[in-house]
Amino acid sequence: MSVVAITRYGGRLSAYVLGIAYGAVKIIGVILVIATFNFILVHAAPGDPAQVIAGQSGAADETLLRQIRSAYGLDQPYLVQLASSLKKTLTLDLGYSYRQQRTVLSLLLERLPATLLLTGTAFILSLVFGTALGTIAGTRAGKWSDTFFTIVSLLLYALPVFWLGLMLVLLFSVQLNWLPPFGYVTVGVEMTAWQRIADIASHMVLPTLSLAAVYLAIYARLMRSSIIEVKQQDFIKTARAKGVTESRIVMHHLLRNAILPVITVAGMQAGAVVGGAVVVETVFAWPGLGRLIYDAVLQRDYPVMQGIFLVMSIVVIGLNLLTEAVYRMVDPRISVRSVR
Amino acid sequence: MTDEPLLAIENLSVSLPRGGDRQFAVENVSLAVRRNEIVCLVGESGSGKSITAHAVLRLLPPALHVAGGAIRFKDTDLATADEGAMRALRGGQISMIFQEPLSALNPLTRVGQQIAEAIVTHAGAKLYRSELDARVVELIAAVGLPDPPALARSYPFQLSGGQRQRIMIAIAMANEPALLLADEPTTALDVTTQKQILGLIRKLQAERGMGVLFITHDFGVVADIADRVVVMRNGCVVEQGTVDEVLRAPKNDYTKALIAAVPGGRPPTTHSQALGSDPLLEARGLNKVFASRQGAFRPVRRVPTVQDVALTLRPRETVAIVGESGSGKSTLARMVMRLIEPDTGSIDFDGVDFLKLKGAQLRAMRRKVQIVFQDPFAALDPRQKVGEAIARGPMTYGTPAVEAIADAKRLLARVGLKESAYERYPHEFSGGQRQRICIARAIALKPLVLVADEAVSALDVSVQQHILELLAELREEMNLAMLFITHDLRVASEIADRIVVMRRGEIVEQGETQSVFGAPQHAYTRELLEAIPGRSLFGRPHEPSANVCFA
Repeated sequence: MSVVAITRYGGRLSAYVLGIAYGAVKIIGVILVIATFNFILVHAAPGDPAQVIAGQSGAADETLLRQIRSAYGLDQPYLVQLASSLKKTLTLDLGYSYRQQRTVLSLLLERLPATLLLTGTAFILSLVFGTALGTIAGTRAGKWSDTFFTIVSLLLYALPVFWLGLMLVLLFSVQLNWLPPFGYVTVGVEMTAWQRIADIASHMVLPTLSLAAVYLAIYARLMRSSIIEVKQQDFIKTARAKGVTESRIVMHHLLRNAILPVITVAGMQAGAVVGGAVVVETVFAWPGLGRLIYDAVLQRDYPVMQGIFLVMSIVVIGLNLLTEAVYRMVDPRISVRSVR
Repeated sequence: MTDEPLLAIENLSVSLPRGGDRQFAVENVSLAVRRNEIVCLVGESGSGKSITAHAVLRLLPPALHVAGGAIRFKDTDLATADEGAMRALRGGQISMIFQEPLSALNPLTRVGQQIAEAIVTHAGAKLYRSELDARVVELIAAVGLPDPPALARSYPFQLSGGQRQRIMIAIAMANEPALLLADEPTTALDVTTQKQILGLIRKLQAERGMGVLFITHDFGVVADIADRVVVMRNGCVVEQGTVDEVLRAPKNDYTKALIAAVPGGRPPTTHSQALGSDPLLEARGLNKVFASRQGAFRPVRRVPTVQDVALTLRPRETVAIVGESGSGKSTLARMVMRLIEPDTGSIDFDGVDFLKLKGAQLRAMRRKVQIVFQDPFAALDPRQKVGEAIARGPMTYGTPAVEAIADAKRLLARVGLKESAYERYPHEFSGGQRQRICIARAIALKPLVLVADEAVSALDVSVQQHILELLAELREEMNLAMLFITHDLRVASEIADRIVVMRRGEIVEQGETQSVFGAPQHAYTRELLEAIPGRSLFGRPHEPSANVCFA
């Protein structure tokens, strides 16, 4: 409420900052663990690690393999190799893709924005519309609008992402010819900046919808049950006994309390959204990390796989940290009572 | 006191959904509240007292509907007023406070904001922030809370139960209501806090000339606060009159039974045999500190819950551990059972060093001490047949199934249920019946010690009385020693041979029941005794006046 003069984070600021700092420490720890896994991955793969790194196609000649051995220190003892690989990870030296003839870092940096754009939009869309639908259904529990939204969200939840994607393409691209069926931008056309943005947006519609559908259904279901639970609590009755209007009860008392479990689940799902991008990006030929990992797996391009593994983990941890920060903002009890 | 009623309920009926055990939750109820008086609406759970109050503000659960009658407040009929008019009355002219002060406040909003919301909702013109802040602080001060500006900025979880209930009262008082509906506002509080809150309501009511409809199940509270009393049973009013008429000379049999069931008024239960002399259980120097982390970089918070406590229990003896919430009485009992491991100390139980036991030996000793919990609804597995709940214990200790089942049926009959109850599930039973099942489950293992952790606190007085009688009988039959944990000194006075008074993890006083109640030594014990509601009428337990109140 705006009417009472209070500073939102008064005494909690220090706890807040400390919580975030603690998260940052965690990130570095996790990065080191992932880098260790990456190291094991290459050494556990069958055959000569140098060949693994070069890509198991037999195309690599002896000179290249020797070059790789010395570049990766493969002639050194394991622990020395591990240490140097950790050091490389921390300095963002992610290696070289001999398949693509480029450094892994430049590959990732080129693909990351497209994936973040796609998954970020899908995530926000599903969260916003999911909670909105869930709120409508929950506050009208038992009425026809609730039944309708419940059925819709169940349907969305049940549809496989790739199937939904293909059906959307059939309808909106092939039949109606409204939207481009695949890709990121229209190639080979001169465009102004605004036209370009509009072009990318039109390319985004179908993949975003297919990716958002499942998560939207999850958040809607969750929000609905959470609203129904909170609705029965005494403080809602208190608000009513104060004479507060129904719309204010929903906006001010119901929503904020009901959204807590949705935030928790959304934080955990954020990683899954990035994972789900693999399917969608493949179906829609979206030039993101998902496509890259798909290709890298098929071609056994280990350095690229390692790099994506690392980047995706960092994205997921970052999203979890963000969730925690949001949770702390919404629920004042967290700073005092530990979440875990 | 003018004769013009502020609130007049006439022939109010509230219908229950089809398929209930009766057609009406409230049937033909008529009562009136005048300015400047407190009317107590008394009755056991399910009597319809709370529903009557909710009907006044039209805050009934969706399944319940007013089926007939009129509710007049001043000149408005609340049963037919439109929603806008009702909203203007709610929190404006008529306020309500509830039983659970924690769940009644929004956990995510500062309490100051929650008070401010009540003011803003009913403010005709736009308020300046400074004005509003000043009003919030004034209200917090009026309900007797310390440091109002700081308190306004705290969240509900940072306050104690009593403080939260004061905030609820501040919210209710925000717009100087003419009528206050108080739905069991002190039931969830400790006695000393209850006394303070009752005093506060009395004071605010007198200062502002409010009418108060005060709902309670406790005749002690009625005696302390009421001007007039309305007694309800099964949705109907069975008796009403002034507090003296109803409490000192009740006409209705049900009212008489209820008043007689108020604990502390009856003579204490006695033993048929002498108590054993050697202690059955002897605990020395028990300590327990609970540690909780408040964040990665915060120091660990250590809360000493039980400090250097010694406790003895003789065979067949009943020791009541009394104290307020947070006094460590439950922790102590759980340590004695080794459900919580003490940090330091020793426990000799039935001639063995209980704390040294491990594995099979510990398991063998565990059956000798059993517990009955407070909440009979949470204490039984909802998907387990009650008979199984009783028979499983002995079976895990090797009793053949046939024998255990036969025993369970016999025990069900013994605690006052039918043998056929064996095949039924907990939800088919009332709270009192479930507590009987829990008792049967505990004694099925033939323990030496029965721990009753607030075992009658959640029950209506009449049910409470029967459970206490049952416990007293079983104690004799099975030679049980009992650790009886309660916050209610009146209950303790009826069943205990010895009283142990705990405060903040320490024992402040212990002794024979007669002497602790008759001549309390410690100031805190006296404070607790002073706070027992209804002393004016019922007297102090074990005082000569105790039994003459309505002779």
